[in-house]
Amino acid sequence: MTMTNPPDDMLDDLFAQARRLTPVPDDALIARVLADAARPVPVRHPQPSIWAQLRGMIGGWPALGGLATATVAGIWIGIAPPPVVADYAAALLDEPVSLGLSPEEFMIAGEFSDG
Amino acid sequence: MPLARSQMMAVSDPFAHASDEDLLLAHASGDPRAAGALTQRVLPRVLAQALRMLANRAEAEDVAQDAMLRLWRIAPDWRRGEAQVSTWLYRVTANLCTDRLRKRRHVAIDTVAEPIDSAPSVAAQMQTGARLRALSDALAQLPERQAQAVALRHLEGLSNPQIAAIMDISVASVESLTARGKRALSAIMAGRKAELGYDDDEPT
Repeated sequence: MTMTNPPDDMLDDLFAQARRLTPVPDDALIARVLADAARPVPVRHPQPSIWAQLRGMIGGWPALGGLATATVAGIWIGIAPPPVVADYAAALLDEPVSLGLSPEEFMIAGEFSDG
Repeated sequence: MPLARSQMMAVSDPFAHASDEDLLLAHASGDPRAAGALTQRVLPRVLAQALRMLANRAEAEDVAQDAMLRLWRIAPDWRRGEAQVSTWLYRVTANLCTDRLRKRRHVAIDTVAEPIDSAPSVAAQMQTGARLRALSDALAQLPERQAQAVALRHLEGLSNPQIAAIMDISVASVESLTARGKRALSAIMAGRKAELGYDDDEPT
């Protein structure tokens, strides 16, 4: 059995009033939207499994936190960041954080091992 | 001899025959004019959708800017023919709005009406604002998918097949969600008729 709703004049009137809203975007909003359009898009490397492997190699996020304060932070973050890291880093560094360094090259570089 | 108005329009709108998707792809390819043209086309609709659901101009502008930001970010990955830009924006905006409504449940309800409509008198503006805010707060109490379906149907005036595409569900599911959502809204709003200036008619 399908239930049909009894007519609700008030609700229908509210819907009609809401439908009549036709706001015009002001110049300030348009400027913000266009400024966002002009910003470079953070590039995401689709290799989360490699990232998880690297993270596992150096002991997870606490170790990464230390590395992140080093000057090589930009290169490290750019390898295969999860999207949230890319967005955070982009906001922090105010520039795209991708770098064309393959995981193989990174591991061979050998500059980030302890000791 | 000065150009006829139609000729001037054609000269000033090189994107006249471009689809929204064409503009988005042009933007992703680096065309510096495409974002402005696409924004002109779609931002009013996005803003309207947000304002109708949220009944608050500042919140609606935040949602609209956020929806457009997500569009710019997806542009490099956009594959031609996969979806319509308008469908994608309806979905993103609906989700951003229900996110806002969910957060509103934990905040004290603002009973001061903001003038959001262009009604002539201040009193009429405030009543419209209060009414639309009440509707928005009622939507906030619904399960999110019911709120989205009801809003797309009754605030945006979309058809059930259009809503089904936006929400990625069947038409039957849309019908079920809108019926249940509208029923729930009626129940929530029933106690506020007098306060919002509606006569409390006796049922016949």
